[in-house]
Amino acid sequence: MRTLTALVAAAAITFSLSCNRAAPESSGTPKIAMVVKTLNHPFFVDMRRGAQEAADRLGVRLEVQAAEREIDVEKQMQIVENMIQTGIQALIIAPSGSREIVSALVKARDAKIPVVIVDTRIDEPAATAAGVHTETFVGSDNYEGGRLAGVHVVKATAGKARVGILEGIPGHETGDSRLRGFRDAVKDAPGITIVASQPANWERDQGFNVFQNMLQAHPDIDAVFAASDLMALGAVEAIAAAGKTGKIRVVGFDALDDAKKAIAGGSMDASVAQFPAEMGRVAVESAVKVIRGEKLPPNTMVKLEMVTKDSLAGKQE
Amino acid sequence: MTTRFHARQFGTLLGLVALCGVLWALTPHFLTVANLLNIAQQTAINAVVAVGMTYVIISGGIDLSVGSIVALSGVTLGWALQDGQPLPLALGIAVLVGAGCGLINGVIVSWGGLPPFIVTLGMMSIARGAALLFTEGRPVSGFDSGFRSLATGHLGPIPAPIAVTIVVYLLAHLVLTRTTFGRYVYAIGGNEEATRLSGVSVRLHKSVVYAVSGLMSAIAAILLTARLNSAQPIAGTMYELDAIAATVIGGTSLIGGEGSLTGTLIGALIMGVLRNGLNLLGVSSFLQQIVIGAVIIAAVLVDTMLKKQRN
Repeated sequence: MRTLTALVAAAAITFSLSCNRAAPESSGTPKIAMVVKTLNHPFFVDMRRGAQEAADRLGVRLEVQAAEREIDVEKQMQIVENMIQTGIQALIIAPSGSREIVSALVKARDAKIPVVIVDTRIDEPAATAAGVHTETFVGSDNYEGGRLAGVHVVKATAGKARVGILEGIPGHETGDSRLRGFRDAVKDAPGITIVASQPANWERDQGFNVFQNMLQAHPDIDAVFAASDLMALGAVEAIAAAGKTGKIRVVGFDALDDAKKAIAGGSMDASVAQFPAEMGRVAVESAVKVIRGEKLPPNTMVKLEMVTKDSLAGKQE
Repeated sequence: MTTRFHARQFGTLLGLVALCGVLWALTPHFLTVANLLNIAQQTAINAVVAVGMTYVIISGGIDLSVGSIVALSGVTLGWALQDGQPLPLALGIAVLVGAGCGLINGVIVSWGGLPPFIVTLGMMSIARGAALLFTEGRPVSGFDSGFRSLATGHLGPIPAPIAVTIVVYLLAHLVLTRTTFGRYVYAIGGNEEATRLSGVSVRLHKSVVYAVSGLMSAIAAILLTARLNSAQPIAGTMYELDAIAATVIGGTSLIGGEGSLTGTLIGALIMGVLRNGLNLLGVSSFLQQIVIGAVIIAAVLVDTMLKKQRN
């Protein structure tokens, strides 16, 4: 009777395999695993696309996996452990936790698998303490991105604004760097006051709620900087609900398609564009170089760009 | 009653073996010592949380707060370690925090007469908030190797987390099957009113059941913190659902009164093996969720059909 469960499981596996177009195990082509934070965020979906294109072009097998939830470091560690078992020649990883992931990288080191870090840096002291070496970091400079956003706010408001900030999950390197960059950029403008700064955990609905509350407490906010576009878009909705569209400048980060639409439509002011597909491409190319025995620079930076209504119009011409 | 339990567990075990057989046939990477040890270590945390969940569910309740208690115990443990407290004291504090939260659940359920769903839903939010408040949202990380040996060490050939899990299961199983307390847990879940009328202090025993669940969350927190070398206030999110899944796949009835830890252990292993196997096969994480959901429903469906046949 109970075998029914197993049969269902077997059928489910077979089903998922056929959906997944699992490539036959071929021993000749190198296999690279890419473990990202989540695959339900457009950023990582774009990264996977760029990575897959590079893998196809270079003739390597690429397997992309992610935990169900972005914050689940333990599950990400499980995936790394499991992928190591499948005979991969290189590991590309976007750490869900800069310190926590070091424990998983120790296992990669023990299995002699070279590691390329993408998007989010690992914690250097923790890595050094554990004796973990990584080949290169591929990503954009989040501090610089935050600084660009800060400079934009200062310029757009002529140096006079009351600013609210929507933070990501506290303790995440990515968000912390963006905020540091932003704060440093507005620090020297005496007319800029940061009236509130609260985490909205990278999420759109939390961005909505947190900003709605912020607006309740500080109805005179002129501008908001969100450490990600999803939170910024949440704030845009909250502003619309308060009937203040166009009166509050919203600056986000990531330049998601939805954010670009909002910028073109005027409900959002600007967003810092990263190029995740480019990151994915460079990460795979770097991994292939490592497999071939080439040395890599410690950092491979991918460009950043400020997207505004003007820059979008300029591109269309 | 006993024979039915055995038949049920044997069935679950068959399911696990069949699943392993399928994976063995599909990928050469599955049946290796290194991979099996991986699975055991990956399953350990959920398996320990599920021990407490099994106690609670057998007693006719539910505990939604386990994941948040894992986070709160974990961050107090991390704080105590970084504060330079000796290891036994730090572990003691974590255990007290976990068992204490559980006891509060139990006391409110028993003496306050509130449904366990509501009380533990509240505690889920309170413990999570407390963990975030206590750490200002930031992870506490970087511990000395003495503590980390709980994740990296070995007891003979057995990795430490697996050894801890085995000991927890042996003790919890003995308590559930060989002590008066254990019998009362079943009795309360089977018929609370009758148990009370026969002179058993239902309130006291129910409170202890929730404390046991909190204690298991604390042990899981210790394993998790050692594994990640970090205590995160956002750790343990949705652990309650994994623990409930392992418990029901293992044949424990959500109505209460029946179930076993052997079943729960096999249930947790089925989930661990599934996740591991689907990773090895390169199945996307979205499909993995569908597969795991289907297995949960199938397991309970089979159970219900079996019961109908018998009646």
